[in-house]
Amino acid sequence: MASASLSTPRLPALQSVRRARGGARQLGSLSAISGKIRLVPKIAIAKVGIAFAPILVLSRNQISCSAAKPDTLKTVQGIIAKQFSVDESTVAPETKFADLGADSLGTVEIVMALEETFRVSMRRGAENIVTVQDAADLIEKVKAGSA
Amino acid sequence: MASASAAAAAPSKPEVLTLFRSLLRTAREFCDYNVREYVRRRTIDGFRHNKDLADPSAISAAFSDGKSQLEVAKRQAVVYSLYAPEVKSVMELKR
Repeated sequence: MASASLSTPRLPALQSVRRARGGARQLGSLSAISGKIRLVPKIAIAKVGIAFAPILVLSRNQISCSAAKPDTLKTVQGIIAKQFSVDESTVAPETKFADLGADSLGTVEIVMALEETFRVSMRRGAENIVTVQDAADLIEKVKAGSA
Repeated sequence: MASASAAAAAPSKPEVLTLFRSLLRTAREFCDYNVREYVRRRTIDGFRHNKDLADPSAISAAFSDGKSQLEVAKRQAVVYSLYAPEVKSVMELKR
């Protein structure tokens, strides 16, 4: 991950002792260059390393528990409610897209919006989505397949 | 162009949806927020406007028009990426 490549470069002599997290061997050349300079901002670099991991701020609410089903479903419901300009409470898991006033074009729009939010590619199964629950299940499946 | 639309039979529903999806996917590749939103808006409006066409020749004409627009959009996405702005639009930051 990006955080590993940004982990603290240290003097080679100190690396084997301090770096319990490991994976910093490849930074030998970097530490040779920046050596003494890097001693102070150890915490700063570690924080920057973490900040780089989620690239988009948008993904903050998904990055923590991407495998949790209820969280996915809730996000899906929110997106669908916003798309059709209805209240979120009317979007139950069993609600069909047709009931919300979506034709096939609307369904494709929803699938694209979901793809964008979860950053998955739902190519194959997208034609069979009928209910909200189907969409959430498909997202889970694709995420589990790719993760 | 007349011969091209006459040669193509009326497209089936999955084909139309595939074209719709391709246009929306191509819209995502633009780095400029304004163009991206415009392509999305225009495809959605265009497809909805022609939703109820019944005449097969009109349908295939609209379909081939959409396909040529898809080609244009794909080329433009590449061209825009060559001159991508470093600063994101404010609308993107708000999310």
